[in-house]
Amino acid sequence: MRLELKELNYKYPGSVGDVFRQLNCQVTEPGFHALFGPSGVGKTTLAKVIAGDIRGFGGEINLQRIHQILYTYNLERIPGWYCIREHLESITPESNRQRLQDLVDSFGLQPCLNSRFSQLSLGQQNRTNLARYLLQDFDLLIMDESLANVDEITKEKIILKIKALFPQRCFLYISHNVVEVSKFCKQILVLRSHHKAPQAVSLQGQDFNGQRVLKEKDLEQSMLEIVNAS
Amino acid sequence: MLHRRVYQFLIIYFTGLAALMLMKYSLHLSDYTIPGVTEIWTTCRRYFALYLMAVLNTLCVAILGHLLSICMATIVGIIGRLTIWIGSFIRVAAYNIQAYPIVAVAPIIFILLGDGLSSRLLIAAMICYFPLLLSFIGILSEPVKEIEHFFESTRRMNWGLQVKIRAFENIHKLITVIVGSATLAMVGTIVAEFIAANAGIGYSIRIALYQSDLAKILVALFLIGICTSIYLVFLEWLGWFIKKRFGTI
Amino acid sequence: MQRKLLQKIGLLGITMILILALAGCARDDEKSMEEVNYRLKWLFNISVVGDLYAHDSGLFAKNGLKVTVKPGGPEKDAIKELELGHAQFGVASADQVIRAVSKGAPIVVIAQLFQINPLHWIYRPDKTPLKTPQDLKGKTIGITHGGNDETIMRALLAKYDIRESEVKLFSVRYDYTPFYQGKVDLWPLYRNAQAPIIGAKLQKAGERFALMDPSKLGIRFVANSVVTTRKMLEERPETVKKFTRALLQGWQEVLKPANEQKAIDTVLKYNKETPEEIVRQQLPATRILMMPTPDFEFGKIDSAAWRQTEEIMLAQKLIPVPVFVEKLLKPVGEK
Repeated sequence: MRLELKELNYKYPGSVGDVFRQLNCQVTEPGFHALFGPSGVGKTTLAKVIAGDIRGFGGEINLQRIHQILYTYNLERIPGWYCIREHLESITPESNRQRLQDLVDSFGLQPCLNSRFSQLSLGQQNRTNLARYLLQDFDLLIMDESLANVDEITKEKIILKIKALFPQRCFLYISHNVVEVSKFCKQILVLRSHHKAPQAVSLQGQDFNGQRVLKEKDLEQSMLEIVNAS
Repeated sequence: MLHRRVYQFLIIYFTGLAALMLMKYSLHLSDYTIPGVTEIWTTCRRYFALYLMAVLNTLCVAILGHLLSICMATIVGIIGRLTIWIGSFIRVAAYNIQAYPIVAVAPIIFILLGDGLSSRLLIAAMICYFPLLLSFIGILSEPVKEIEHFFESTRRMNWGLQVKIRAFENIHKLITVIVGSATLAMVGTIVAEFIAANAGIGYSIRIALYQSDLAKILVALFLIGICTSIYLVFLEWLGWFIKKRFGTI
Repeated sequence: MQRKLLQKIGLLGITMILILALAGCARDDEKSMEEVNYRLKWLFNISVVGDLYAHDSGLFAKNGLKVTVKPGGPEKDAIKELELGHAQFGVASADQVIRAVSKGAPIVVIAQLFQINPLHWIYRPDKTPLKTPQDLKGKTIGITHGGNDETIMRALLAKYDIRESEVKLFSVRYDYTPFYQGKVDLWPLYRNAQAPIIGAKLQKAGERFALMDPSKLGIRFVANSVVTTRKMLEERPETVKKFTRALLQGWQEVLKPANEQKAIDTVLKYNKETPEEIVRQQLPATRILMMPTPDFEFGKIDSAAWRQTEEIMLAQKLIPVPVFVEKLLKPVGEK
């Protein structure tokens, strides 16, 4: 499984400056990876380019054994006429039915099932949205701030669950939180402003999966590398 | 809700009537120019049943015309939301055609269709159609990205679902424009009857105008106001019911 | 150089003073004229040629009046305008006058324009032969519900003992399609204004037409008459006299065959939609209805016809009680 971006160039329509200039990066294995960078550097734009929502860019995107890419972001909503249970049941393919209850339990969605989306808290909404994407068939899931407004304990639980349930899938997790990307991610793509070269730097994360002890020193080291690279 | 609307109408109506009486007695005008209260009351007693039937006739045509225009606006709005050439053609055509005054087109419709139900229905539908259409096109053309994104990404999106999402997300606007256009439907039907029909309260008003009988016109206006208010109340209740049923309130 | 400039300025100044003085004189002349508004019954067409001629030929001005002649229409009521003070003179039909007076409107009639009511019914004699009024039985007759043609037709049917169930009354509108299509046998129109137009269309289609005149069948229903308020007559009798004199003179002159072209030009000046050849046909038709004989005294009020009009309205309960119409008739211009 491989995702490779080669000499990527992109400019917003009608704007003067580039967003990406000669951007090169790659993800070479399945796992929980991160896309990190300061606000406004183009993380969401890059995610949309990878997902195919944005076209008209220069350069190449090479995919190996990645056929279905999904992109989700934290402002998504489900249609108002559904309650959560109805919607999740309607969008879950037959092959993933068994996973549905597992995810509901892991994500703490049981109390929400009979509610409508607008009746949920922001955290519950984000979790519901993420759960429905995880119930789809995909090779690469890009999660853009998908766990914003979720408390730290639940967030850890969710990320660990994702890693346990989908070891052979690829995730690209967009976050501003340097601690969580350092702790949970295998590879961290640090995206920088277009006038810096290289524009993307790849770093190693701690890839914590709950089954080993995480050394604080290693975590700090990863965080420092990320901050320096930004 | 019912009481509020009806009370509002009654206040407006009787305020207007009081203003007329004030003008009558301050300028010493005869009953021919502004009828007195007694004459209005006598006329009301004599013509109430007849005019009530006429107003109900008009209201039925107005409601049918309103429903017809909602259906037409929905169909055209669904087609008009397309980004291909037919969609933009329909949008441009809708904006341009609405500039034609219906009172100029109405006589032509009556010549072609006669003065039966079909012509009154068509005119009523056309008068309230364009505001509905412009709103519907606007609503159905505007993507609701936060909801549609999932279905598009997972290839579940179809035109029916897209329309449903956009309509549901804008249900408040839709209900507002439908309630607002109900008055237009009633006005349109009355105008159509006034111009060229031989039934309905508009026709009765035309006869009263030929006879310069303002008392009859005031009675007709009273009944039109009451019936229209009740229809609006019903539509507002229906809108509230729909919003409550789908959890938007 | 300076002197020449001063001379020019002086000349300009004198010119301006002269212009202002003349304008002031004109305004003074106008100020001495009484301003009155005259609301007609309908739009500018052949039926108001005399009103327009009296204005254009300066007859009103010669009598010291500055008259604004205003067109009527379906939404305008001259009697209401008189009561509200928006007009000082108006044109109304007899049924309008009688209805208004029955409701207390202080109106008087100072002249009668049409001696024969122009409201006739057009029909095809080949398809609908009408030798006697009884031939109306079984026919589809167009009427305007609420209009005076309905009143006239009902009076006609009553006079000849024809029950309403023996005819079919068809509600008419502004378009003549049902008549052209043959769905309606008799269609109401104004003999002087519309008959030439409709008749031309029928002739073009190879069809003969004829006109049924209710007055020839004994129904005399007075049409357009000149009205003013009782107060105007009492407080400004000289103004009323001057107005009526100028108006009747205008009508008398414009209806003379010798002044045919002037009449046509007057109508065409205010009504550009009607072709000249039609106006040329409308004029003699109008003349006959207003001046049945060449030496007829224009504007004469026919009291008998007014009484019959009132009787018809009483019989059809269009007025609750008699108004004693003779009390309203105040012929000012009659000799």
